[in-house]
Amino acid sequence: MSACISAVANGLRKLWIPPVSQVRFRFHKDKIEAGPLRRRYGYEEKVVFKGLLPHVKHENHIPGRQYIPGDKWTPDKALFGQNDYIDIFSGHIHPTKVLYDVPLYLRGFKGNEFQCLMRKQKMLKHGEIPWRYPTTWRKMNKRIGYLYRYLNRHTRTWNVYRSRMTS
Amino acid sequence: MLRRLVMGALRPNSCVQAAHRLSTTTESSPSEVEQYSSDGFPPPVVLSRNLEFPTNDGRKRMAWVENIDTVQERKLGMIDLHPDIFAVPPRIDVIWNNVHWQKLYRKVNLVQVNNRAEMIGGGRKPWQQKGLGRARQGSIRAPQWKHGGIAHGPRAPTTRFYMLPIHTRLYGLRCMLSVKLAQDDLHIVNALDIPTNEPSYLEDLAEERQWGPSVLFVDDTDVAPENIAIAADQIKHMNIMPVYGLNVYSMLNHDTLVLTLAALERIEKQILYFMHRTDRAKLAEKFKTSQV
Repeated sequence: MSACISAVANGLRKLWIPPVSQVRFRFHKDKIEAGPLRRRYGYEEKVVFKGLLPHVKHENHIPGRQYIPGDKWTPDKALFGQNDYIDIFSGHIHPTKVLYDVPLYLRGFKGNEFQCLMRKQKMLKHGEIPWRYPTTWRKMNKRIGYLYRYLNRHTRTWNVYRSRMTS
Repeated sequence: MLRRLVMGALRPNSCVQAAHRLSTTTESSPSEVEQYSSDGFPPPVVLSRNLEFPTNDGRKRMAWVENIDTVQERKLGMIDLHPDIFAVPPRIDVIWNNVHWQKLYRKVNLVQVNNRAEMIGGGRKPWQQKGLGRARQGSIRAPQWKHGGIAHGPRAPTTRFYMLPIHTRLYGLRCMLSVKLAQDDLHIVNALDIPTNEPSYLEDLAEERQWGPSVLFVDDTDVAPENIAIAADQIKHMNIMPVYGLNVYSMLNHDTLVLTLAALERIEKQILYFMHRTDRAKLAEKFKTSQV
């Protein structure tokens, strides 16, 4: 019975369809124009997904600091090397004699610490250094004494000598 | 020698003839060379020089002599350059050796740290040897202590000094001068006299003649003319140097090298003298600090 009633009702619905029109406020075109959906708004991606290799923005590593190139033409840099060939062009002055920015006892000198300090002691002992800077002078003399003992007693020269004595 | 070869108003006919002869070979109009100054006399025309120690291998180098008392370039003549100095192969390794030596031979490292002996204090034994359950210690300045001395630290002063053999340095100068000439960066002027002390004059000059931007002026004298001294002092990349200050680093540092005729004479004379000295072996001896 109930089946008969439902069949009749379905037939009536097919006969009369109410006039309904679909109302759209957003079309597919609008969706494409709006771009991809924003998820996690405000979060900055640390990983770069674009391209084949990670494109690291190096300029952002030190924020707020601007690269300012140094002056390449300060007087020191512009005239660097002047008088280095003075022995050739003047004929008699050696370039080690005009290294005015190098301490006197180091001009034209190359050697180990002991040789260097010996040379310094020899050249400065009659000047003002010993009485003007007594602590520095005492430390230097102490170091010379230590190096003298060390080099003579604990390096190869002394070992060879000692082995000869014992054998 | 140069004074004899600078032919001035005394022999104007030969000058003009020679200028015509020059103009046929170097594609410049005779009027370019043959210009009269304001006082009616033709300027001296430099035509050739007798080179010491001449070579016969066919190498030949020449350069224009220019003026710098006007912004517009005026050619005053053409001179020979010695091929042993201005026509040697550009050995970049030799130039590098020279620059490297220039940087290092003056270098002094003053970094030093104190060792346990040089620090203040530390003479007293901090605590007794036994009985406290602590490690045995003898000094608060021992290197294992915080605020202690440094073991095997850098000891000052250390120098990087070495002396490049003089023939390598001569070769470096010759290579550098040859490179400058080959790259059209070497210009020879009659003198360093400019009419004004405005730095804009030198900038205009360099712009007009396509020098620089950095220019090194070299003269034979210690004291430069006042105008160019004041002008070049206000431009950082234009510098003046006497001949004895000339070096490989500065030539490489500056784009353009401007020599006066007197400076050119001096440079050639000194380099040739050292190249042809008879005591070559003694000259090339190893450097000793006590010898100079």
